[in-house]
Amino acid sequence: MSTAAVQDARKQAEALDNEDSIAFVRDEFNIPTKAQIASSRLADSHPAALPASEDDAKCIYLCGNSLGVQPKRTVTRLNQYLTTWATQGVQGHFRPLEESPLPTWLDADAKAAELIAPVVGANVSEVAVMQTLTANIHLLMSAFYRPDINGRHKIILENKAFPSDHFAVETQIRHHGLSTEKSMVLIESSSKDNIISTEEVLSVISAHADTTALLLLPGIQYYTGQLLDIPAITAFAHKHGIFVIWDLAHAVGNVPLYLHDWGVDAAAWCSYKYLNGGPGCIGGLFVHTNNSVVAKEITDEKPEEGYNNRLAGWWGNDKKTRFVMANKFHPVAGAAGFQLSNPSILDITSLSASLEIFQEAGGMEALRSKSLKLTNFLEATLGHMKEEDRAHFRIITPSKSEERGAQLSLMLSDGLLDTVMKELEARGVIVDERKPNVIRVAPAPLYNTFKDCVLFVEAFSAALEVAKQHAL
Amino acid sequence: MNDFASKVKVLRDGQKPEFPPNANTLEYAQSLDAQDQLSHFRDEFIIPTRASLKKKALDGIIPGIQTNGTTTDADTPCIYFVGNSLGAQPKAVRRYLEAQLETWASIGVNGHFSSLSNSPLTPWQDMAADCAAKSAAIVGAADPSEVVIMNTLTVNLHFMLASFYRPTDKRHKIILEWRPFPSDWYAFQSQIEWHGLDPEKSMVEMQPDENLYLSPEKILATIDEHAEDAALLLLPGIQYYTGQLFDIPRITQYAQERGIVVGWDLAHCAGNVELQLHDWNVDFAVWCTYKYLNGGPGSMAGAFVHERHGKVDMSSGKPVFKPRLSGWYGADKSVRFNMDKEFQPTPGAQGFQVSNPSAIDLTSLAAALSVFNKTSMKELRSKALVLTAYTEHLLDEIVRRQPEGEEPAFKIITPRDPLQRGTQLSLLLRDGLMDTVAAALEAHGVVCDKRKPNVIRVAPVPMYCRFEDVWKFMEIFEAAIRG
Repeated sequence: MSTAAVQDARKQAEALDNEDSIAFVRDEFNIPTKAQIASSRLADSHPAALPASEDDAKCIYLCGNSLGVQPKRTVTRLNQYLTTWATQGVQGHFRPLEESPLPTWLDADAKAAELIAPVVGANVSEVAVMQTLTANIHLLMSAFYRPDINGRHKIILENKAFPSDHFAVETQIRHHGLSTEKSMVLIESSSKDNIISTEEVLSVISAHADTTALLLLPGIQYYTGQLLDIPAITAFAHKHGIFVIWDLAHAVGNVPLYLHDWGVDAAAWCSYKYLNGGPGCIGGLFVHTNNSVVAKEITDEKPEEGYNNRLAGWWGNDKKTRFVMANKFHPVAGAAGFQLSNPSILDITSLSASLEIFQEAGGMEALRSKSLKLTNFLEATLGHMKEEDRAHFRIITPSKSEERGAQLSLMLSDGLLDTVMKELEARGVIVDERKPNVIRVAPAPLYNTFKDCVLFVEAFSAALEVAKQHAL
Repeated sequence: MNDFASKVKVLRDGQKPEFPPNANTLEYAQSLDAQDQLSHFRDEFIIPTRASLKKKALDGIIPGIQTNGTTTDADTPCIYFVGNSLGAQPKAVRRYLEAQLETWASIGVNGHFSSLSNSPLTPWQDMAADCAAKSAAIVGAADPSEVVIMNTLTVNLHFMLASFYRPTDKRHKIILEWRPFPSDWYAFQSQIEWHGLDPEKSMVEMQPDENLYLSPEKILATIDEHAEDAALLLLPGIQYYTGQLFDIPRITQYAQERGIVVGWDLAHCAGNVELQLHDWNVDFAVWCTYKYLNGGPGSMAGAFVHERHGKVDMSSGKPVFKPRLSGWYGADKSVRFNMDKEFQPTPGAQGFQVSNPSAIDLTSLAAALSVFNKTSMKELRSKALVLTAYTEHLLDEIVRRQPEGEEPAFKIITPRDPLQRGTQLSLLLRDGLMDTVAAALEAHGVVCDKRKPNVIRVAPVPMYCRFEDVWKFMEIFEAAIRG
């Protein structure tokens, strides 16, 4: 960037940061410092005791789309969890402690559901905090993908799905003795950047409407950052009798979702990206009320005909009978009936701590409002880079803000990626790479600033300079 | 050979050891503690105190670590005989967890691939394999590649069944026991239904005798009866209610010889009894880690897949497909991030992973397993045999001391054969006693597990319980049943 452009951008950023009504939320997070990023040793002191570092010392962490930053209160809550386990032992399951921010362990899943429901736009009874993303996709498909080779047996997904989704679909199809050749339909994008238009999706649905059982799509595509039109696609699929599952790994905590109102059938997500739950943290699923009805009592005749069958476990059983240990599964209505096991309290505590902050920041609409400004500012600032630098990358994420979340994916010219990543990190910038040529930059509204965006662009310019030299 | 060692020998021969007339004294109990080579492991744990069990709010006081400066009776550790339900917290957990939180806060996403040099932790992407390696000896895997740490027990059960329960028209039945833990029952029921079959027709329950004992003869006879139409046999290594330990190798072999796949739910076995899953040729097994393994409430579960099922045949250039519900994390580490659509599984149990696992969960488990790695299941089992035999002896004496003609206050429904049980004894109380006993135990700082209406389970686990605890328990328990 030219010096003038830099100064301009910095001034703009300062103004935008000053008027940012949720700037205070950044203080809730332990953002790594540049020194820490470079360190190879654990510091001697407890992180909560480390002196608060100057903002300047903090690294420019734009990688929340891959692993979110640690909330400070997570440390506190996990300490409280350890204390509870140590002092209460098994009583921790059912004995409440006064003024403890933690629920009893038997209630931890219900409390976590209350916290996640508003984030995804669901009734509390429509969500469950459980397991991991791919396990949840399997559990949902086991319940809702019941193919009939003479009727509906196909699953439609995108050609460049995150591999886990692809493997899950393939193995579910094969479980039923079917073949991917006949029963897997891939939506090909006509764009060289793999942007999938809504029309493309709808036309594939139309082409296979009568023989399709299930549609599985990402709310936000992991590679390009494209936000799909969840309500329109869902509605169209429903018109054709197709069950719709959304993989919301990159959407949850990133963009506002209204899963209930949009009539989404089911969805699953992980919690370690924008939800800041920690690496591999317990995930979640959504099941629309329509799909989780329990219409009969266990004492009725053929009670199993009163609910959608699913792979079951004791934790999905009606709580009233859960500890009675009777030998007949009868789920509780709602998403909770899809749970199988008592969850990891450590994990749920970590996630719940982070979700408190979403509430305090004002919810998803408030976050989206800032996110739109942040990402637009990032894009504009990238646009002010020198011509000769801009020649070496392209933003492949859609330019319309309603078609993207926080993330921008930058496609670099061949051969530059490794050096760019190395140079960025040397300047204290953490972003994510998708080989061979893409970097993903995701300014998260909870803890990133407009200044972060400028500093990124400055570092990126410098990194490109070095990379270009190396490529010569 | 001292008293302790000679008792171990007798018990391992399947015999009842003799206890002296003064067995029911504190001095005798303490003499056994003095001979216990594992007694120092108690210091590795935080045992709740009587005060801490009663506290109403978090106050920052951690038994044995942070005090408020005073020491009263209430600050003595409780008698924690419920490790069969939730293990006590290893001190290492807090240390490891702090390291993990600091790592996440300090290096963010780089923690997947780097670890900090003075940390007890591996990079996050290696944590699951590390815990598998730490678990291998505990379950008797030949190699860590037969073990995978992932998900929860019931989900692992479902993933295993998806691979190993492949019913045909002829072979479609699952052989199980009369009172499986409900989760297992629901898993069987829903798996059968998922295949479009009828649970009424495809489940074979084996009933116990009037003492709730499921005999080997009964089991083998059932296997014979269903040699042609059973696809799978799945039992708990230890029955949760009675504490009966099944003859895993014998049953496994007998069923496999008849073409039946054999899986084991080891929820109450892992960390409790010696297992040799590889040598016993078990097809697969699953377990949870929050009981005897002390991983914390709901901590990540484990699974075993025999080496012969874990092979990945690449002879044609592409992996030969074996039925499995897959996800990216089961892909070989070398290709996992290539984002290919061809699934190439990691050979072995770890190919059954679907998702990247929780790092803090693995951290907690790694800390707990590090204590196990300082000893062996053989040593733990030896101590447990004596502890449980001592418990049984004193309990029998309580019944003998009851007034003539009075109905016994309780009956031990766990097998009397030391080799057919683990640490736990299940006591079936006489009707009407449960509430009094429960109240008395609570009042005196004893924690046991209740199975309403009438059973309490008593588990003096070898890792952190003492003979002295057993003796004290008896004082309290006998007074309680006397009313």
